[in-house]
Amino acid sequence: MKKRILSALMVGAMCTGLLSGCGGGKAASTGDSSAADNAATATDDNTLTVWCWDPAFNINAMKEAEKVYQADHPDFKLNIVETPWADIQTKLSTAGAAGDLSTLPDIFLMQDNAFAKNQISFPDAFTNLTDTKAFDFTQFAPGKLAYSTINNVNYGVPFDNGTVIAAYRTDILEQAGYKVEDLTDIDWDKYIEIGKDVLAKTGKPLLSCQANEADIIMIMLQSTGASLFDAEGNPNIVGNETLKKALETYKELKESGVMVLVNDWDQYITTMNAETVAGTINGCWIMGSIRAAKDQSGKWAVTNLPKLAGIGEQTNYSNNGGSSWAVSGSSKKKDLAVDFLAKTFAGSTKLYDSILPSGALATWLPAGNTEAYSEKVEFFGGQEVYKLLTEFASKTPKNNTGVYYYEARDAVAVAATNIIAGADVDSELKTVQDTVNFAMGK
Amino acid sequence: MIKLKTAIKYIFLIIVSLISVFPLYWMAVSATHTSIEVIRGALLPGNYLFKNFANLLAAGDVSGAMANSFKYSIVMTVLALFICSLAGYGFEIYHDKAKDAIMSVLLLAMMVPFVAIMIPLFQAFSKWGLLNTTLGFLLPTISTPFLIMLFRQSARSFPHDILEAARLDGLNEFHIFLRIFVPTMKSTYASAAIITFMGAWNSYLWPKVIMTEKTSITMPMLVANLKEGYVTDYGVLMLAVLLCSIPTVIIFFLLQKQFAEGITGAVK
Repeated sequence: MKKRILSALMVGAMCTGLLSGCGGGKAASTGDSSAADNAATATDDNTLTVWCWDPAFNINAMKEAEKVYQADHPDFKLNIVETPWADIQTKLSTAGAAGDLSTLPDIFLMQDNAFAKNQISFPDAFTNLTDTKAFDFTQFAPGKLAYSTINNVNYGVPFDNGTVIAAYRTDILEQAGYKVEDLTDIDWDKYIEIGKDVLAKTGKPLLSCQANEADIIMIMLQSTGASLFDAEGNPNIVGNETLKKALETYKELKESGVMVLVNDWDQYITTMNAETVAGTINGCWIMGSIRAAKDQSGKWAVTNLPKLAGIGEQTNYSNNGGSSWAVSGSSKKKDLAVDFLAKTFAGSTKLYDSILPSGALATWLPAGNTEAYSEKVEFFGGQEVYKLLTEFASKTPKNNTGVYYYEARDAVAVAATNIIAGADVDSELKTVQDTVNFAMGK
Repeated sequence: MIKLKTAIKYIFLIIVSLISVFPLYWMAVSATHTSIEVIRGALLPGNYLFKNFANLLAAGDVSGAMANSFKYSIVMTVLALFICSLAGYGFEIYHDKAKDAIMSVLLLAMMVPFVAIMIPLFQAFSKWGLLNTTLGFLLPTISTPFLIMLFRQSARSFPHDILEAARLDGLNEFHIFLRIFVPTMKSTYASAAIITFMGAWNSYLWPKVIMTEKTSITMPMLVANLKEGYVTDYGVLMLAVLLCSIPTVIIFFLLQKQFAEGITGAVK
């Protein structure tokens, strides 16, 4: 009997526990302002919720866009929730897989490399922007626009520019008897030749890269207009001459000592800030990290990257990273969100001028014609860097990402490591193809 | 000879402890430097602490994140301790075959990783309207097989004679639990409290998935936000990590003695 009473008590205790938790929850959420915010966003027709990351960059851009839009719509407000990219991906995947997209905001920022993957996996999470007819997509750099264009439909408003630059320390080049012009419009063979000379004379490599990432190989690949996938989305790896050439170049860079490999991102930044390398090649957003070392002002210069000679389009232009804005398919304020993006990120030179100091470069081409883009940047020895980058962006070939881009990219990174350790390129390409096929369930 | 052996032993231990303490030291020192100084490897304290602090306050809602983290962690710890100790006590004191079988199922559940149940859990919580609520945050981890097992193991050493004596003296079953079991199991409660508090304080994935409002930010989320930009301010980041670690360090040192006792008691 007593045991039965105790059992009943325990159940009671557990319920009390749960209820007290419940009470706590309610008290807490009415107590703080989150409930108020929530209610405001739910009922207020003039407030849009946005998910994005990086206060100095993306969030700053959104805040400036809010100001631009408020000029004509005084009641308009943004509720910007700072959310790291990995978390946006987790939240979107969870909500998408659970079939409840109500937690998504009105607008979210999406990494370009993951755009196609997410749109194809969770089509309901995205709004078809072509049908809205609010945007003139021809005004965006084609290489950039391609990331958020799936089956000829636009789902994203391109924003963050990932145009690749080669940045060099002019003072170190000078010690070795070179100028930035000597490294402009060259190919990788020339780059390695100069790099060896610079290394011999100054002891500094021209390039540092993260050992476990395939960034530089992907940059080479896109500069020729090639991709890891064909137009139908099938892996294009075995027999991909461009990829083979890129991997061989990567190996040569490493063996000649022109490129040093580091273990992680923080070490990569250190090589530049602590002056252990004479340059870098990456998306133009890397300029922010370069400029963090204020004592190196005037010692850097920007130019285009070396091309992969003898193959494909052979350009000196490529793209790495970058992101685009998407309007959530579940948004109740789609019209407002579309109008907001169309009048700001796809229609306001004023916006792009105001966010330029933060390093946010337009891929919306009309923005590149303003005076602000002709500014001479002291840090880069008085170069008109922004104008240069807009020009680079317009010349960048397209990249075909698809659903399994990240899997393929990771597999290439593994292959690159093995090739440096002495593995045969052809057999590694076979392994990459098998890995990607496995991921695709083929 | 013995002295030499002791000396070697001590030298070895000193080296090992230096290696384990160094990251903490470096974290604290880095919080007092500019980002570029951190990158260039500053090892002695600098004078940038206040500026970093000001930058941190500007970068995120530190007080809000601290308050949220404390709120969630304390509520979680209190509830989890109560529920799991009650369950552990019940499983051991009134054990029979059925309860033992249920216990094995519970232990099996320990082997399922959280990511595997996250999506169905999210589905259920969205149907129950628990998204963006404190209850939604707490519920999945309020009762864990590990804690139940910990309390069950320690209840095993609880003498049944006392139970009988208490029953004879007319104490009802719940009061036996509350007045006799709870006070004698202080060390188990202490170790369970540390484990739960740390788990709740550091929890990231689940709160991030169901809490979408910016006002529900916690300390680990704040730290993650600081690392996400194109340009990371390492000084500010280290300061945030330092602030985020302090509460768990304090709790651990306060309950350290009981923690060690509780853990060894459970293994016995």
